Amino acid sequence: MRVSPLSVLPVVLGAGLFVAYWFLPFVTQPELGPSTAAFVSADRDNNVLELETDGAQLILFGAAVTLIAGVWGLTNAQHSRAVAAVTAVGGVLVLEYFAVFFLSYRRDEGTYLAAMGVGFWIMLALGAVMVLQLALPRPQVPAEYRLSTLLANQESAIVVALVVLFVTIGLSNPRFLAERNLLDILQGNAYVAVAAIGMSMVIITGNIDISVGSLIGLLAIISGRLAVGDAPVVVAWTVPLTVGAGVGALIGWLVAYLKIPSIVVTLGMLSILKGVLIIWTSGQRVTGMPEAYYLAQWRPLGIPTPILFMVGLTLLAALWLRYSGLGRAFYALGGNAEAARLSGFSGTRLTMQVFILNGVFAGIAAVLYATQLNVIQPTPPTSLELFVITSAVVGGVSILGGKGTVIGAMLAAILLNTIRSGMIFVNVSPFWIQAVQGLLILVTVLIDLVRRNRQML
Amino acid sequence: MHVQKLTALLVTASLLGAGFAQGTWDGGDELPTNPLPCGTEAAPAPEPLPYDGGTAEGAPDLAGQPISLIDVPKLVGIGYFDATSTGIAQAAEELGNVTARTDGPTEANIDDQIAVIENYISSGEVSGILFAANDPVAISPVLKRALAGGVHVVGYDANSQPDAREWFVNQAEFNGIAKAMIDSLAAEKGEDAQFGIVTSTFTTPNQARWIAEMQAYAASCFPEMGWLETLEAQEDAVLSFNQANTLINKYGDDLDGIFGMTSVATPSSADAVTQAGLCGEVAVIGLATPNDMKPYVETDCVKSVVLWNPVDLGYAAVHVLRAVVDGTLEPGATTVSAGRLGDLQVVNGSEVLLGAPFIFTSENINDFDF
Amino acid sequence: MSSDAQIRAPSPIQRLRTVLFSQEGILFLILVVVVAVLAGRSDAFFTPRNLLNQGRLMSEVGLVALPMTFIIITGGIDLSVGSILGLCAVLLGVLWGGLGLPLGLVLVLVLLVGVLAGLFNALLIVRVGVPPLIMTLATLALYRGLAQGISEARSVTGYPEWFFRFGQGNVAGLPTQLGLFIVMAILAAVVLRSTTLGRTLYAIGNNPVGARFSGLPVGRNLALIYAFSGLMAALAAIIFVSRVTTTRSDMGSGLELDAIAAVVLGGTSIFGGKGSILGTVIGLVLIQLLKNGLALMGVTSDATIIVIGTMLILAILVNNFIQNRRAGI
Repeated sequence: MRVSPLSVLPVVLGAGLFVAYWFLPFVTQPELGPSTAAFVSADRDNNVLELETDGAQLILFGAAVTLIAGVWGLTNAQHSRAVAAVTAVGGVLVLEYFAVFFLSYRRDEGTYLAAMGVGFWIMLALGAVMVLQLALPRPQVPAEYRLSTLLANQESAIVVALVVLFVTIGLSNPRFLAERNLLDILQGNAYVAVAAIGMSMVIITGNIDISVGSLIGLLAIISGRLAVGDAPVVVAWTVPLTVGAGVGALIGWLVAYLKIPSIVVTLGMLSILKGVLIIWTSGQRVTGMPEAYYLAQWRPLGIPTPILFMVGLTLLAALWLRYSGLGRAFYALGGNAEAARLSGFSGTRLTMQVFILNGVFAGIAAVLYATQLNVIQPTPPTSLELFVITSAVVGGVSILGGKGTVIGAMLAAILLNTIRSGMIFVNVSPFWIQAVQGLLILVTVLIDLVRRNRQML
Repeated sequence: MHVQKLTALLVTASLLGAGFAQGTWDGGDELPTNPLPCGTEAAPAPEPLPYDGGTAEGAPDLAGQPISLIDVPKLVGIGYFDATSTGIAQAAEELGNVTARTDGPTEANIDDQIAVIENYISSGEVSGILFAANDPVAISPVLKRALAGGVHVVGYDANSQPDAREWFVNQAEFNGIAKAMIDSLAAEKGEDAQFGIVTSTFTTPNQARWIAEMQAYAASCFPEMGWLETLEAQEDAVLSFNQANTLINKYGDDLDGIFGMTSVATPSSADAVTQAGLCGEVAVIGLATPNDMKPYVETDCVKSVVLWNPVDLGYAAVHVLRAVVDGTLEPGATTVSAGRLGDLQVVNGSEVLLGAPFIFTSENINDFDF
Repeated sequence: MSSDAQIRAPSPIQRLRTVLFSQEGILFLILVVVVAVLAGRSDAFFTPRNLLNQGRLMSEVGLVALPMTFIIITGGIDLSVGSILGLCAVLLGVLWGGLGLPLGLVLVLVLLVGVLAGLFNALLIVRVGVPPLIMTLATLALYRGLAQGISEARSVTGYPEWFFRFGQGNVAGLPTQLGLFIVMAILAAVVLRSTTLGRTLYAIGNNPVGARFSGLPVGRNLALIYAFSGLMAALAAIIFVSRVTTTRSDMGSGLELDAIAAVVLGGTSIFGGKGSILGTVIGLVLIQLLKNGLALMGVTSDATIIVIGTMLILAILVNNFIQNRRAGI
């Protein structure tokens, strides 16, 4: 298919946004001090004009997304519609900043509009164009590249849900969009998302692990005790992975070779691991780890390490599941064990492997969990297994096996934390927070199913 | 198209959420409050109330003889109740004629706690039960059965209904804790400080009581002081950390202080403030054990930690139960002797008061190890 | 089985062997051994008073485990039962104490709410095709959230004396709820063994698509058992409130795992198509008596949960082993 002139538009829009951003007054004020994170933003205290800066990162985020999609679109003309949709989403994010700005401008009876500089108005215009370009006529594309097909997966549904939540909550309380809060939301459930990678694989093969919460609690204590006991921090970080793999191997052996259903094994392990944890720690929290131990508190380039782990591991796992033989065999095992066997994979060995992998991811999650705070609690994190399983299934991993991606699970983990934080920001009565959470989870799950049912018709 | 439908549904859900928006709930309970006088003014001595506890019917006379006790805390596996059971073991060893063991549910669950107590009543091997109730009402029927079976029952930390036990060892009066917390905030951040609260759950009786008393005391002594929001965080360290972060992000400069209502919430809130680089700007004050708080007090991020000594609490509970069995603590008594703690006062009819809450600061925190 | 055996009537010894080496038979043997060991270790264990008391304590989980058996036989699961219990308990308190409705009417309404909660699960499972685990995972959060919202963290106490009969009283020498549980268990066992409904449930579990194509009313039957699950959770809520004399929104949390443990220990296959009420009842009694007996022996709760967890895995292991051996013979 020929590259149409239109496909250059997203690149121009994205690049234009980046350029215009540097003409915002608070970006070019040198007295505002160094940036607090990777994205440049003005700290409220230093902001002499008292401009509304919350949400300014959305512009950069929207610009980046549009630019990446645009560059991709240059060489993949068949995806022109998807690129246009992504550009429009970027535009919505940009306009969100302006909505927040003008709402607070009116509230403050501001008079500083003239000081905003030309970049401000250009960005507003660019944002509007990004949304409006969706209406431009585009060449027809084959059915499999239509927007409705491309976006017909749970990941897109969750992305849309996230955008809707960010836009509505941000309008109601701009502080929700402050950089610190955005990073906190991404970071808060990072260890859940990492554990959900392993859980997704387990569920994809048609199994389940409800002992993961107790396991993470136990591995976190092991890690902490090692660190306190003068082991090198690298040892404290890696031993939980090996112990996790060992426990995973035991579970896998019971499930694969002794043919006990995984829900029974892990229901038993849930009790066993929890009992061991309580007896072993006798309620003593672990504190006083060496300074170098707190991996999850590092912020390379201003981004907290848990976010890097979450995104990095999820992408790696997604690629591995999709392109490696073993990864594809997991899907085959969950969808059709016989097919997996015929394609040369041993079902028992696959089951064993998937539980070992799950144990390793539980180990990584445990290290992130243990190094987040200066104390490690001796009890398993409350209902963690429920959060991990919910993330996986809301993310579109089919409980019947054979379907789903880890990216969806990561997005779902972020969605859960967005809901938790967002409900507080819009002042939902604390009594009803959990009900609204439950409702939102239900809605997200339903959307996926209603769509799948439609596709079948 | 499904995306539109999803959007519509999400917006509806958000609106529904907004419909519930009221945010006026502070996490306190509805019981009448009794704020202490402001400043250093001494509280008027309360009227002595008649004994309102129960009696162990037909309990064998074991005065001076060896007895066996079971201690049932809210849950096992957390530091606080590990400390109380340490105190219980100390008192048992010191007295010589008491054997005590601790067994409790592995989760703070009312049903599991009842089952544990049932088991020990059935075993017929214990002559006394020490408990810390997960729910004051739910635990009462089983305790009453224990009393009816001639087993002595003494509570500590968290009370039951008065007639379901003989005595309750009160670690510190609710209004005393409330005063210590609010006074600490006023001293640190001024009388017009705005604060948020991180608690366990709204249904936990002790926490709800403290919050209600804190509100009452603040209203009467520091009318300018403002409450912003109370958030639930179970008894979970990371959730407490996330909730404290949300408070910091939501209220920004308006937030002067965070109260941690549990020994889990307080260190986590201190961690959140430390990691946000807001030490000194946002005060963290709360209930916590000194060992957990030492790192934050050392860096001067936390200036005051409020707590009683949980080891002493368990220690006193054993002495009270021993005194009941020996007949030295009878209804109407005004004091009870509790070993190394000296004489403890009887208040509110059937409660033994451990003392005033203790405030740990950078000067004294290193003198304690629990 | 060989065609030879099908022709000849089984001898009494063969029949005994079939019973003994059935899932339930093995489990029953394990139960007998456990009881004998525990009774030997503690005098207070094997007394009518203690056993009846344990019956009182296990009835709530038991009531919920009955429909759970049905649901697991169909290859489904219901994780929302604990939350339904919490929701119903809170509603009981609010309708009676808050709105001042007569308690008798409130009890009926609460049972109705339980049925509706179960039907809502069934509606989306049957009509939209949401997998039961996902659906009930979502309503686990939703119903608990509703319970919290409705209760506003308030407990309602002070029920009239007659209400306590459900949870604390006795009928014909048995604790009321134990009697109720026995009646329900017998009913459930009869339904599962000897009615079309029961056989349909197995058919659905063995082959859901096949069951649908062979014209069985799959949807209606599923709706029926999920509604039954809600009803039993509501009944358990009434008994629980009556037993502890108060309502709290966190009541029944974790109940679903206890019920599932009893069901799978009882030999019901989590993949569906296999299982029995008798097995569930034995599994339930086994867990309860083990907890109780170990406590009476002086084992603390933290060690007890390790034993229970190991037991769960071992029991299934032994059972698998024996069934495989038999299949091999």
